[in-house]
Amino acid sequence: MRVGLKVNGVNYSLDVEANERLSDVLRTRLGFMGVKEGCGVGDCGLCVVLMDDKPINSCLVLAYQADGREIQTVESLSVAGKLHPLQKAFIDVGAVQCGFCIPAALMVLKHLLDTNPSASSEEVRHALRSVLCRCGSYLRFLEAFEAVRKR
Amino acid sequence: MQAREFLVVGKKVARVDALDAVLGKPVYTADLIAEKPLFVKAVRSKLPHAYVKGIDFSKVEKKQSVRKIITHRDIPGVNDAGSLIPDRPLLAVDKVRHIGEAVALIVGDTVEDAEEAAELVDVYYEPLPVVSNPREAVKPDAPRVQDRDNVVTHFKIRKGDVEKGFRESDTVIERTYKTPFITGLPLETEIAYAYPDGDGRITCISSMQNLYDVYNKVLKILGLPAERLRVVQAATGGGFGPKSDETPIDVAAYACLATYFTGKPALSAFTRSEAMTVQCKRHAFEITNMVGASRNGRLLAWKSTLFEDTGAYISKGHLVIGRATFHCTGPYEVPNVWADGFCVLTNNTMAGSTRGFGAPQAHYAAEMTMNELAEELGLSPLEIRELNMLRSGSLTATSQKIEDDGLLQCYRRAVESSEWERKIRVFQEFNKNGSSYRKGIGIALLYHGNTLGPEGDDFATVLTRVERDGRVFVQTGLTEFGTGALTSLVLVTAETLGLPPRMIQLERPDTAAVPNSGPTVASRTTVIGGKAALDAALKIRAAVASVAARLLKTDAAKLDFREGFIWSSSGISLAWEEAVRQCYEEGVELKALGHYIAPPTRWDPETGQGAPYNQYTYGALVAEVTVDMETGFVKVDRMTAAYDVGRAINPLGLIAVYEGGSIMGLGYALLEEIVHDDGVVLNPNLHTFIIPTATEAPDKIDSIIVEVPGPMGVFGAKAMGEIPVVLPAAAIAGAVANATGVYIRELPLRPDRVLAALRQRKET
Repeated sequence: MRVGLKVNGVNYSLDVEANERLSDVLRTRLGFMGVKEGCGVGDCGLCVVLMDDKPINSCLVLAYQADGREIQTVESLSVAGKLHPLQKAFIDVGAVQCGFCIPAALMVLKHLLDTNPSASSEEVRHALRSVLCRCGSYLRFLEAFEAVRKR
Repeated sequence: MQAREFLVVGKKVARVDALDAVLGKPVYTADLIAEKPLFVKAVRSKLPHAYVKGIDFSKVEKKQSVRKIITHRDIPGVNDAGSLIPDRPLLAVDKVRHIGEAVALIVGDTVEDAEEAAELVDVYYEPLPVVSNPREAVKPDAPRVQDRDNVVTHFKIRKGDVEKGFRESDTVIERTYKTPFITGLPLETEIAYAYPDGDGRITCISSMQNLYDVYNKVLKILGLPAERLRVVQAATGGGFGPKSDETPIDVAAYACLATYFTGKPALSAFTRSEAMTVQCKRHAFEITNMVGASRNGRLLAWKSTLFEDTGAYISKGHLVIGRATFHCTGPYEVPNVWADGFCVLTNNTMAGSTRGFGAPQAHYAAEMTMNELAEELGLSPLEIRELNMLRSGSLTATSQKIEDDGLLQCYRRAVESSEWERKIRVFQEFNKNGSSYRKGIGIALLYHGNTLGPEGDDFATVLTRVERDGRVFVQTGLTEFGTGALTSLVLVTAETLGLPPRMIQLERPDTAAVPNSGPTVASRTTVIGGKAALDAALKIRAAVASVAARLLKTDAAKLDFREGFIWSSSGISLAWEEAVRQCYEEGVELKALGHYIAPPTRWDPETGQGAPYNQYTYGALVAEVTVDMETGFVKVDRMTAAYDVGRAINPLGLIAVYEGGSIMGLGYALLEEIVHDDGVVLNPNLHTFIIPTATEAPDKIDSIIVEVPGPMGVFGAKAMGEIPVVLPAAAIAGAVANATGVYIRELPLRPDRVLAALRQRKET
């Protein structure tokens, strides 16, 4: 079936199978490799992208369900070579370890920054709860959010 | 070499791979697949112990979408995927010994084709009796897991006269502690992509820690000459030990076999449940400590018995039991020690390398023992540690002489920074308030033998070259998988050549480009790899200096390399790029292979006595908890972590490792357990195997860097990658005991277990 997706500001129209997942379409059809897969059943949150400005597990959304929606992946954060403040803060506070959850963590925090920039530490933790980080960088993520919010 | 102050080392520097990560760049294996590859899926055993009587492929062998079926008979080389001990076939021959063991491979056009076909293969089993408890497995009439005794290793420590020590003791306690299987759980599961690269060679891109382990094993499985295989490590989404162990060999072999037989690109990747079933786990331990002390609290005798469940294959179990047994007394001086460590085969899934390598289990038991002994003696947890901790001049359980006071410094800093004494008073007050919450504080100390020691050849190589434009490229067979250790190699190189770190670039580990650099395990990359990077950089510097000295009309030995310039002692300088250009003009080669091999360590296998490690990392961790007495739920409020890192090469990276290891260790303390029921894994998924999220992370982790340079590591650095995961379980269980008066002797401290322990105390 034919679906229309707007991904990172660009309109795509493509034929998808009924059982094709949004995460696979984003990765293998459209090349947005920042979308990761860690479990495929919605436990780990590594495939989080924003759909119509809300974080979703893209492994749990079928591509046709995203028809007409607007998707943002980590690749949208840096514009014209300029890093998003959260990206810069992640580097500055040393948040990156293995890196595999970083795109998802960034998208969750971007959503929070856009919708609730004065989020309390508890609210930041609650938002981040949807993304697993086995390296345990959670306190670095909190510090990065704090650093961006202060500016 | 260090005549001047450090310019780069110890400064706040961003990791070299951080930019790629925040941009979501395609750097992991799954991102690098060029063509639509075939997919390889393993048919896995559904029984934990059985004869394989036959395999029926009739439902799949005529399928167009199935390109190849591979059994043990098809393996062109050697059917062995054991990493150190050749005890584990890549594909089962006549028997399966654990659940999930691979019996055949299906090469399908797509992942769906391969998975569907794998489901349709009928394997005929004749079940065998299952042994799933090491205490049962050591009995003479227990089922044999392999064609050998179930006891793989009996590791011994014999120091002094332990019976005499107990006779002279005023107080003797004996306690048994149990720790569970967990999985290291790198979030990127095992994955490998193989393709024919045109020269009759197979290239395999994969997620792994040990480049040459994968290369050497797969080469033997394929039965090919060395030049017909190339292995490249892609960015790796977490290591934690399992990626250094046997499953990365398996997945690479699967993909390479498919390419070998079909001539086509092939991908193999584990599902989450597959990874959680077969990935090498942290060993389950049962540790009994019998400890005697004088009335005034001096340890006089320590007897440990350790049973380590290594599952159906040995993997690194024979080495993990060594590290656990060496560290069984914790970082305390005991004149008389007797320890027996048994590595035991069972029909549970294989355990192997996991961050900490036996140390978390040994330290949990030792630190709990110290707390329980302190209570018997009427001492505080601090007093008993001050009386017995290893100091300069102390002798360890193996009679190795300690040369510095790193442990004492960590202890003092952690106690002071956590405001231990004040917290004790505040919490005592809080606990009188009549609510269902109790607060407590606990401390745990460690020493951790550095790098491989008795566990293997402790060497490293680093290849460094300088381009005509002055850029420096560093490449090694050591890998990055999260700890930031390769950034340390960049910093060591930058420091030595007097260049800003941005001038140094890392290239991917690649068997076609670099020689073996040993395994990337045992927290040895910065320590040992750093020495090899230093050696390479010094060779480059010497070559550049020979040319620069002539241009600057001075002695090469008097030159100072700093901030991108080469300075003579009279203050005349030459730009690095200019010097490099001149080297190229004159044909001076700016390419060097740095090499380092650690001094051999010696100990007596009959008594364990000697110096098994060249140096030790020390640490002290304070944990503060709140326990809900009605639900048994434990919340970790704060941790104070002080580690003697020898030399902080990359402080920003250390903070991430301190915090991350503490949180991983918190999961081990409170949440994580892979449950085997008669060999069957009950929870191979992330909704029933729970790891810490951002809400479980403590409110704060205070990271304290202590620097007492060690004799071996680069610029005095000590091993750190694994270390912060060692103590949290011990410190948290200690804090729970402080809060509730109950010592919980089995991990994890799940609410039901805490409640049961509280109830039991009420009854007695």
